[in-house]
Amino acid sequence: MRRILALVCLLAIVALRLEPRLMQLPFIDRQPIVELLGNYADGEWQQYPRFLQHVRACTRAGDSIAIVAPAMKWDDGYSYAYYRASYFLAGREVLPLVTADDRVHPENFQRARYIATWRANVPAGRYKVLCQAEGGALLQR
Amino acid sequence: MTAALVATLSMTVLGLPVALALDRRARGPLLLGAAFLYGSGVVFAVLLGLSILHIRWTIVIVAIVNLAVCVAAAVLARRPARETRAATRQLKPHWLDLATLLTMTGFAFYATIAPLWEWDFWAIWGMKARVFLEHGGIDWRFLESRWNSYVHPDYPLLVPLNFDFVTLLQGGWSDRWLGVLSIAWAAALLLIVRDLAAREVSPVPAALVAFVVAPIAASRFVGIAEGPLIAFGAAAVLFLRRAALFDDPAAWRHGAVLLGLAASVKNEGIALIVSVAIAMLFVRRRDVLRLWPAVAIAAPWLILRATHDLPTDIASGSVFERVLARMPHAAEIASLVTRTLYHPFFWAALLLGFLIVPAARRREAFVLLVTAIQLAFYLATYFATPNDPRWHIATSWSRLTEQLAVPITFVVVLMLAKTAAGVEQSPDAEARPVEP
Repeated sequence: MRRILALVCLLAIVALRLEPRLMQLPFIDRQPIVELLGNYADGEWQQYPRFLQHVRACTRAGDSIAIVAPAMKWDDGYSYAYYRASYFLAGREVLPLVTADDRVHPENFQRARYIATWRANVPAGRYKVLCQAEGGALLQR
Repeated sequence: MTAALVATLSMTVLGLPVALALDRRARGPLLLGAAFLYGSGVVFAVLLGLSILHIRWTIVIVAIVNLAVCVAAAVLARRPARETRAATRQLKPHWLDLATLLTMTGFAFYATIAPLWEWDFWAIWGMKARVFLEHGGIDWRFLESRWNSYVHPDYPLLVPLNFDFVTLLQGGWSDRWLGVLSIAWAAALLLIVRDLAAREVSPVPAALVAFVVAPIAASRFVGIAEGPLIAFGAAAVLFLRRAALFDDPAAWRHGAVLLGLAASVKNEGIALIVSVAIAMLFVRRRDVLRLWPAVAIAAPWLILRATHDLPTDIASGSVFERVLARMPHAAEIASLVTRTLYHPFFWAALLLGFLIVPAARRREAFVLLVTAIQLAFYLATYFATPNDPRWHIATSWSRLTEQLAVPITFVVVLMLAKTAAGVEQSPDAEARPVEP
């Protein structure tokens, strides 16, 4: 009896860990998955990483850059905008204008050499526009 | 892709003499799997060492130091062996291994299907790697900055520094093919699991156990530290189990070193050292000091993070107050972890396995204890976390339980296979291959 129970339990364990989707992957059309995962990180903000690439090209290592995004609340999208900017602008000092407690940090706006603003308005005239691309602009004091 | 493949191959070659220095008898899949894991560890140690010495990373310097380590390990490996046992016997493949191979092929497609997409990759593991690459070494100012606490500055650095090795080889940052490393970590663990299982049971159950753990080793969280933690941690526990059961000196060395490397991947790996040490106190008290290499490998990062005052979020503020405040909500936390358990029927089947073969509980006490203690640490974290426990459980519990799944699955599948084949489960019995 114990031998039968052991066999049934063993087969159940094997069956419960089968991953048919993984085993099918080499044989199916993977293009939809490529598109899904390729766009996963940026969701509806697909232009944003392309904008950050332009910002990277216009700045140098060590430059300080503050990020202005359409969502200026942490959980509404600013965290994503800040993290993503930190990733693409590695080597620069990326400064947040909002932190996880939703506190605004105007001192970072003052301290930054550049303002990277994407789909957001910054008062014109006070800054020099260094480059404009993909719905955003890099401003210099 | 070429750089990622060359890096993987280089790490395996680098790790070969290390694996042989630890275990002259190692051959076949075990040697190959262990070689990659040790190569991954060597790359981490070399890049960390260069950073401590303020030597800027370049591919030439890194290659020279890696080669020096490789030669030193090769010299050690050539010393006459003190152990007289014969080399590992030839492992017999079985057609069931094709199913594991198919799972891994699917994972290889998945892990490299697109530039790495996980939030934790580009906000933590890949982020650090990219920043360090720009800096030419570990950027302590970045880790210490109050604006960057989201990167978990206290996390050990094996994974980011392995990414840096690949990107140094390819001459610049690209996250397109870094998933190759995730495949290699998973494959290395499976080779070790398959070989260790084959020493105790016949090819059918040995192939079955590799097949069952393949989807766990092939962590769906590509590009973050889950996969390598599962690889190093599970390999360490399985070697130490073997060491404790069969008095195998080489398994002690493998287990202790791999445990130290698990602690270099993630904080859970540091907790695993404690869990293993406590479990060892119960099952082999006199041998607990043989784990010293694990502590020695983990120590440099622990000292560095203390001297740089890198904060650990769980330990921030008043932990005691948070734990006290959440005690009345223990039932709610228990209910949440039960509801969000990944593959609940699989875990139920594992538990049932222990009920079916009660004699195995004593024999497998080490793995059971390690799993239970580590689980207790994880649950305690939900009482201590400064975050909302509901959010913390929802975002971590499935990952944490997968971290623990390989060793317990290994022992349950093996003991069920032995019982089903009619091999007596004596707590003190020397394991022997089961004929099909």
